[in-house]
Amino acid sequence: MLLLITRTFKESIRSILRNGWLSVSTISILVMSLYIISVFFVFTSTANEMLKEIKNKANISVYFKADAEEGVILAAKTEVEKMNEVKSVEYISKEVALENFKRTNANEPVILESLKEIGGNPLLAALVVRANNPTDYQTIDENITKATFSEEVSRVNYNKNKELINKLNSVIETIQKIGISLGLLFAAISLLITFNAVRITIYTHKQEIEIMRLVGASNMFIRLPFIFEGIIYGIVSSVVSVLLLFISLKFIASYVSLTIPTVSLMNFYLANFGTILGYQILLGSFFGVIGGLMAMRKYLKV
Amino acid sequence: MINEENIQEEKNKIMIKFDNVSKTYKGDFMALEEINLDIAEGEFISVVGQSGSGKSTLLKLIYAEEAATVGEVYFDGNPLSVVRKKNLSAHRREIGTVFQDFKLLPRKTVYENVAYALEVSGAPDEEIAENVPQILDIVGLTTKAKKYPHQLSGGEQQKVAIARALVHTPMIIVADEPTGNLDPIASLEIVRLLIRINELGTTVVLASHDKDIVDKANKRVLVLENGRIIADYPQGKYKIS
Ligand SMILES: Nc1ncnc2c1ncn2[C@@H]1O[C@H](COP(=O)(O)OP(=O)(O)OP(=O)(O)O)[C@@H](O)[C@H]1O
Ligand SMILES: [Mg+2]
Repeated sequence: MLLLITRTFKESIRSILRNGWLSVSTISILVMSLYIISVFFVFTSTANEMLKEIKNKANISVYFKADAEEGVILAAKTEVEKMNEVKSVEYISKEVALENFKRTNANEPVILESLKEIGGNPLLAALVVRANNPTDYQTIDENITKATFSEEVSRVNYNKNKELINKLNSVIETIQKIGISLGLLFAAISLLITFNAVRITIYTHKQEIEIMRLVGASNMFIRLPFIFEGIIYGIVSSVVSVLLLFISLKFIASYVSLTIPTVSLMNFYLANFGTILGYQILLGSFFGVIGGLMAMRKYLKV
Repeated sequence: MINEENIQEEKNKIMIKFDNVSKTYKGDFMALEEINLDIAEGEFISVVGQSGSGKSTLLKLIYAEEAATVGEVYFDGNPLSVVRKKNLSAHRREIGTVFQDFKLLPRKTVYENVAYALEVSGAPDEEIAENVPQILDIVGLTTKAKKYPHQLSGGEQQKVAIARALVHTPMIIVADEPTGNLDPIASLEIVRLLIRINELGTTVVLASHDKDIVDKANKRVLVLENGRIIADYPQGKYKIS
């Protein structure tokens, strides 16, 4: 059996080499398909990471009136924490708020000056509420207006990131839609191209196949070369595609990191190198084998 | 006495049996009709008849390239309708086939062409290295082992095909017009080779147009006409009405 496999494998490689341009064009198209599919995969995955990060940063700030007592605010905190939609509540006292304000405006002497002029602490104490789900902020907002402590609330600030999230969501959706349609299109093309390559190999090996049958080669032995051919096409294409992806990401990454500093396509690629390569090989061999099987069903009556 | 009887029985063991076989090709063309035929182990049988009389079809039924439409062909007791579906490759290894057009692989040498038959059935390298030279010696092509088919005469190419057919040590050789592309002298050499192989114990079924070579064999002759057996001479000459 092992003998059979190594013999057949050698034969398949020889056949691919002999096919020359046909093999080159088959592999090129497979590479293109795998490349496009994985580019979209990397993009959507990175965009999703980005979205997650932004979602984490989203929150509602509930500002309390200047005369609200700390005890009331802390009671309100426990009340808010009990709400189902709430993930976490953070209490920012007036003093902490002032510290933060001073820190963020450390380079703005005018603002600091006017702050001094006002005298005292004009800032309000606040509860920073984070939701489990970005869609929950609406409900949380409503609940807060209905809550027992609503009298003490000066204003509720939210929606800061809502537009960005929505935008990003729709961008991701569009990328995914394009990715899926292009992916399907190229999957179909890949199947056709390997189908064609194997069909031609079957055709050019007609004589061998006839002789193999006459001298009693097993069906397995007759079919195996064509399955191997598909697998080899798949593996070679996926390796090339992964390399290509590496090069192009390296190129793109330098531009992207200038505009969106938190996003690193390259890091994603490197962190998921094994997965990406694995999926590509799997997908490539899948195209190769299925295309090959289709051709055999049609042209290799055993 | 008992021993002799046993030997006698062995010799008459039926290798191929056609039991009321008819073959209809797609459409409704009757290529063979109600064929009843026994071929014993060790026999040399020539199948003759005009073009289109069904010789090749009869042979194809033996190596199970085609299936009987009616009736059953038995090989060594096994019904070929079953073998064809379950065990065709093993069946093919018990039969050596030889054709008019040689069916050699042009890009392989003589040696490789013969070795190929063993390779594709998964024989170990040592077996191949041992058997192939022996077979090439039997057909007298040892000196041409490294030549390619196009460097050989037609007769030599056919010998390569015969060597390939023999390399599995089959129970039977089926030869369909093996001399169809050869001149009379080469043809005679091929038939001599087939006779020798038969004398070494292999059953031979030969389909041929060629009166000279059938006469040369001087063995059992089966005459087909329009898909029917019209004569079966135990030992004789090529005669067509
Ligand atoms: N695959 C096929 N499909 C349809 N008809 C066929 C097929 N093979 C053979 N026939 C028909 O069956 C008949 C018998 O053919 P066969 O090849 O057995 O004849 P033959 O005696 O070998 O002839 P020849 O001496 O010319 O080789 C012919 O009339 C042929 O046209
Ligand atoms: Mg014929």
